[in-house]
Parts: sequence; structure tokens; C-alpha cells
Amino acid sequence: MNSKTKNNLGETIKIGYLAFILIFAFFPLYVMLVVSFKSNEQFLANPWFFDKISDWNWQNWAGGWETVNGYILNSIFVSFLGTAITLVIVLMCSYAIARYNFPGKNVIFYLVIATMFLPGTVAALVTLFDLLMRMGLVNNLWALVLMASVGGQVAGVFILRNFIEDIPKELFESAQLDGAGHLQQIRHIILPLSASIISVTCIMDFLASWNNTILPLLLLRDDQLLTIPVGLFRLDGEYVKQYGQLMAGFAISSVPLLVIFLFSMKFFIKGLSAGAVKG
Amino acid sequence: MPLKGNQTSYFTSQKMATVSISKLEKTYSPGKKDAYHAVKGIDLEIHDKEFMVFVGPSGCGKSTTLRMIAGLEDITNGTLKIGTRIVNDVEPKNRGIAMVFQNYALYPHMTLFDNMAFGLKLQKTPREEIKRRVDEAAEILGLTEMLDRKPKALSGGQRQRVAVGRAIVRKPDVFLFDEPLSNLDAKMRVQMRAEITRLHKRLDATMIYVTHDQVEAMTMGDRICVMKDGEIIQVDGPLDLYNKPATLFVAGFIGSPPMNFFSGTVEPEGEGMRFVESGKDEAEPFSITLNERLAESARSKHGQAVILGVRPENIATVEGQDTTSLPAIVDMAEPMGAETFLYLNSARGSHFIARIQANRIFDADQAIRVRLDLDKAYLFDPKTEKVL
Repeated sequence: MNSKTKNNLGETIKIGYLAFILIFAFFPLYVMLVVSFKSNEQFLANPWFFDKISDWNWQNWAGGWETVNGYILNSIFVSFLGTAITLVIVLMCSYAIARYNFPGKNVIFYLVIATMFLPGTVAALVTLFDLLMRMGLVNNLWALVLMASVGGQVAGVFILRNFIEDIPKELFESAQLDGAGHLQQIRHIILPLSASIISVTCIMDFLASWNNTILPLLLLRDDQLLTIPVGLFRLDGEYVKQYGQLMAGFAISSVPLLVIFLFSMKFFIKGLSAGAVKG
Repeated sequence: MPLKGNQTSYFTSQKMATVSISKLEKTYSPGKKDAYHAVKGIDLEIHDKEFMVFVGPSGCGKSTTLRMIAGLEDITNGTLKIGTRIVNDVEPKNRGIAMVFQNYALYPHMTLFDNMAFGLKLQKTPREEIKRRVDEAAEILGLTEMLDRKPKALSGGQRQRVAVGRAIVRKPDVFLFDEPLSNLDAKMRVQMRAEITRLHKRLDATMIYVTHDQVEAMTMGDRICVMKDGEIIQVDGPLDLYNKPATLFVAGFIGSPPMNFFSGTVEPEGEGMRFVESGKDEAEPFSITLNERLAESARSKHGQAVILGVRPENIATVEGQDTTSLPAIVDMAEPMGAETFLYLNSARGSHFIARIQANRIFDADQAIRVRLDLDKAYLFDPKTEKVL
């Protein structure tokens, strides 16, 4: 086997592997789209492939939109606010830990990290409900905002601290000499230079908040306060499941996520720190 | 070459900017086991409009001192005055200083204009004023055509020029440079060296420059402050430092190739004194009659150990047997074009370098004779390391 054949084989395996991962990731989306255009009868008859366009059941999308429409603002409110508060906490905390030496710095950092190992929402559900009830936050969207903003920042701090430590300290010192205070250093140096990692953290937090089902299900009572995942349960009828409408609802509720992802994509691929220091 | 040294400028300094350092100390982790005394109570007066160079080996405290002047390090003890104002507890932005870093420290996401204007924007300087200052600084530094570019599109030398520009637009009282040329290649370093010197003349400002490169120190500084182990060893003009080193360290640090040192003793010889090289006993030593100046300085040391220092350019090769010449063996020769560096060994094992004209070819292990110019030689006390 000469080296060219070997290379070709390597390339084929690599592409095959990537194709497998892609199919694995996109197959559920494909099924979601296929089913969203089918009535229950069409779905049972042909679950895997699209029918003729003339047979597509557009009613599902109208029904799905009607359901999601009532809840989308709640979801946006909870997810945006939760992510924004998380971002502020993550930025301040990571900046302080990465840039400054103060007594107890390491202890604080390890304590923050240690909370990653505490049981999550599901394991602490009863005590959490009890706590939120005492705080008067049951049946209140602010409970979800609070939970989204206090839960998401640990991983963010862990990642962003390392990222900030890798930014040459002379950039901060130069800004300090130019008269930039802490907030200005965060705004003018960390935000633009860490845009890629911050956008990843935000997307992860937003996604977790957007898809959160357990807490809203547990805490929200009024129909007008429900978020999309809980609202979509209404399509899950007692005797008959409306698969088509359910999938159309899921498809519609994922649109905001796709939009956010498309907007933040550029930060993933932009090498912003090129040229900062000698290189 | 972008800089024109004879022009005055809008940025030409108007203020008196002396820097007075008194008993300045820096200790890291004071009171702890790993406490490190980086700067040990130094005193220094940097005059208005002076170009002062701090030079010394790594870890000597030169950068720490500069960073204390900038306000980037807290001062453990002592007083720092800029002009008439004590600035120990003054924020860096309010000290009237600007600093150029070794690795440029340009904001990579901003254009050159924004990089230079950043500090002014933070100070809420009017937009027209910002533009005027940046444009003039860019013109001084030859960056006018590049103001829309980002730092990654520039060469190392251009990036460092932007960093200098960023300092200029702030119209500081004192410019601080922390090894600004260390990241540049040799050719660019020589060019930037000249540009910074011209800039100093043009702006007529006080500049403090840290380097470990003694060639930079010699060529740029009005005065040079040589530091070692957190202390100032000697402060003097470049030629005074070269010709009148106060200690063994300064003598060895300033000059390239460095001064040659021969260990030995001084012994009486009639009315005068003689230097006898130490080393392997069985071999013939360098034995040299000292001139009147050296004999006088060594008078109290007779029979005791001393170190004789001679610069490479003060050692000459001689033809034939001459009673005042000394035997040496060629280790290797480095032809530099205009001159040759001759690496030599004495019979007693001293290694030394002679800087001679490049008109002879030498072979390894060739026996030659050399003569030391004692009028330009120094004697040092090996214990105190001070010149005698």
C-alpha cells in the first residue's frame, strides 16, 4: 500500500466518520420536519419520508404556532434575562479571579467550582420548591429567571477565567494607563477578545433555559405564564397525540435558537486575538 | 525614515518633568516565607528632558522600578515624585506618564486610529482634538497611510511605532519604555533605536527606558543607571560608564565583547609594582610591570589578590620577542569584517579576547605575543568588586 492510497483511505475514514456524526445529529431534526407535515394517519402509513407536497398538512403548523404563540414571550423573557444576568456574573467573577490577587482568591474559586458537583435541580426538587415557595416565587416567571441566572455561571467562570488569563496582561495594563477602570477593561478588552467563548457560554445557557421543562412544570400554574416546553404538553392529548402539531410546535420553538446561533456563528470563526502581541 | 529630528511639534513637552526616586523598595509577598526583595531602597534623580536608561541582567529590578514609576506595581517603601508631586498613591492614569511595552500591547480588535485614540476617548477629549493629535502622531511616525488597518496587518516595527504613537498622543510628562525593541529583529532594532532617539530630541520629553541590551543603553541614553540584584550599581553617562566603571560588574556588563579579567596578585618591583597572574602554578604567568597610576592604586594591596581588567580593544598582537609583551595561544578567531575578535588563552589558563584589525589570519593553537595597554586598564578588589 503506497502512501497516497494510505492517505486516501485516511481521508475516506475521516469523511465517513464526520458524515455519520452529522446524520446522527440531524436525523431527529429531519424526522421532526417530516412528521410536522403529516396527519396522524399519514404518519402511521409513512413515518420516515416526506409525502407529496400537495398532501402536506399545513394545518399542523398553524396549530403549532397557535400553541407556541401564547408562550413564546414567556420563554424569551426567562431565557434572555437569565442568560444576561448569568453573563454579567460570569464576566465580573472571571475578571476578578483571573486578573487580581486577593486573600482567599483560590478558596473562592474552588468553592465556585465545587458547586458543579452538587446535585442538580431534579435531585433537589423538593427543597428547591420549598425554598421558592417561602420566597413567594411559585407561579412567578422571576423564579425561572433566578434559577437560570444562579445555575449557569459556574461552567462559564471556569472556562472564561482561563481565557482571560491567556490574554496578555499588558493589554489590561495599557488600558489601565489609558485610564480604563474595571468595567471599561471588561467592555473594551474582555468582551471583544473573548467574544467566541462568551457566545458559546451564552448559547449553552440560553439553550438550557429555553428547553428547561421540569422547573416551569413544577412552579408555574397559570396558563398565560407557561413557557414553550410546558405549553407544548397541551398538544399531548390524553387519548390521541397530535404528532404533526407537536412536531410543528417544536420546529417553531427552535427558530429563535437557530437565529441566535446564526448571529453568533461569526465569533466562532473569527480569530480576534491575532496581532495583539508579537507573533 | 519617518522621523525628522529637527522639527518641533505640538507634542513637544512644555512641563518640567523630573522623576525623583528616594529609598524606593519593592518586596513581593512581604512577611511571608517566599518574600522576594526585588528593589532594595534605591535613590535616583532623573532630570527634566533626560533620556535615562535602566540596564542590567534579568531579575535586577529594572522593570520593577519602571512599573513602580508607572503605577502598575505598588511601592513597598520609599517615595516617588514626578515633577513636584509625590505620586506613590496616585492612579497610573493621573501620573502624567505613558508606557510602551515590550510586546506592543495593541488592542487587536481596534484599528490603529482607535488604538491611538483609546486613551483620549476615555478622557472624553473632543473628537476634533483626538483626530488632530492622532493625525500628527501618525505623521511623526510615518503611519498616516495605515490608520485604518488593524495591528495584525503590520510588521513588528510598525506595531511598535503604533505603541509609541499611542504614548505620544497622551502628551505625557514622562515616557516609559519597557524593553520596547526586544521583540524586533536585529535590523529593525537598529532602525527603531535611532527613531526613538530622534523622537526624544523632537519631543524634548523626559524618557525612561529599560533594556538588558547594553548597546541600546550606550547608544540611546543621556545617562545610564546600571542595576544588579535590586540595587543601583552606578549612574553615569555612557562614555563615563565605559571608561570609568565603578565596579567589576559594570566593567564586565558594559562593552561588547566584555572587558577581560585576569586574576592575580600585586607584588613590589623596585620602586614600583608588578601584577603576577595566578592560575596553574607550573605555567609561566602573565607578569606585567604596572604603570604609575595602577601602581599607586594598588599600593595598599601588595601581596594580595587583585583583578586586572583590560578591554579587548586595548590588547594588541605584537611581532617578535618583546620584553613588554606576553605569550598567548590562539583558541579561535572571529573575523567580523572590519575587525577580528581573537579568543586567546594564557599559559596559566586565563581566557581573554583581543579586538584587533582584520589584516592578519590566525590559526587555532597558534602561539602569539600580545601587549596590554595599561593606560586603559583597571585594577579591582576581588572582595568588594570595586575599582581600586
